[in-house]
Amino acid sequence: MNAAALIVGLYPPAVRDRWGPGIRDELDAAGLRSWPDAIIGAVRLWLRPSTWPETSTGQTRRVAAVALFAVTSATMLMLRAVEPSPALTADTRHIATSLWLIPTLLGIALAAPLPPLRWSALRRLTAVAIRALAGPAAALAAMVLLANSGVLKQTSGLTDVLLVSYYWGTLAFGAVAACVLVGRVAGAAVLPSRRRLGTALVLLGTGLASAALQNAMACVKSGSVTPSFAATIALALLAAATITAGQDLRPHRT
Amino acid sequence: MHSNDAQMLVLTVLADGPLHGYAINTAIQELTGSRLGPGSLYGALSRLEARALIRPAGAEADASPRERHRTMEITDAGRDALRAELEQMNRIARAGLRALGINPA
Repeated sequence: MNAAALIVGLYPPAVRDRWGPGIRDELDAAGLRSWPDAIIGAVRLWLRPSTWPETSTGQTRRVAAVALFAVTSATMLMLRAVEPSPALTADTRHIATSLWLIPTLLGIALAAPLPPLRWSALRRLTAVAIRALAGPAAALAAMVLLANSGVLKQTSGLTDVLLVSYYWGTLAFGAVAACVLVGRVAGAAVLPSRRRLGTALVLLGTGLASAALQNAMACVKSGSVTPSFAATIALALLAAATITAGQDLRPHRT
Repeated sequence: MHSNDAQMLVLTVLADGPLHGYAINTAIQELTGSRLGPGSLYGALSRLEARALIRPAGAEADASPRERHRTMEITDAGRDALRAELEQMNRIARAGLRALGINPA
């Protein structure tokens, strides 16, 4: 796969389906100097889901729902990676530090495809869920068994590297599988409406913005700049992107 | 180039007749001396189609959405939007030329 194909891959699926060959031709003709414009164009289109040309029924809603879960998964992995500051704990004894979770969880709940109330559709949904989640569930079970088996009490060198890689690989596998599941259940479940998805994205963005603010305040108090500060910037950017896309999906009053 | 400028350029060249993406950019190059970047061009096409100012031309409207080179045409709403935009630009251009002491033709 060359750079032009990679750049075309950055575009939302509907735009890729509709205009992919044309974008590719322009990239091939103009070369390196057209890359920044093409990449910025892809980012702008992700922020404007209302302009995606649907190439199949419900495509915009399905892709927006998957994107919401992808942002959530990326956030969770990032917070796990940087060992979040005490400002972002999910702890009932410190309610203030958990406030960002309220809009975040509300957004996830609103964006979740609803299970249908028909046996045939429920069976299909269950089969899709088992197929998508069986792999990560097995990897997680193996990790728990390994951790509790006692064989890992004295490890070093290459074994440590392999275990840490396995841990992160399992987390990433689970995150990807959750997004794949949301994408695949579209045929068997009821996808949220555009308005509901827009509201869900705005709520998720509000949660991420609160997390960024709480984290920034903790950084200022502690005087620490890395890596929590980098997480603050990443949270703020994700918040801005999700709020922009959410506002765009919600019907505008004229 | 601003995205609205890109949209107006696309509408302007499509007002002459249906074209596909690469030909639209070639017509813009003939008009302005430079091509739009791929992101600007296809972003503008997506936005214009979402606003129903352009649409796939003739038989291509029924073709597969994954057609390699889709020919697009301007809609009546697109013509109205372009006319309104050009008239506004014309008013601004005339006022600017008057302010500079130049008599607009």
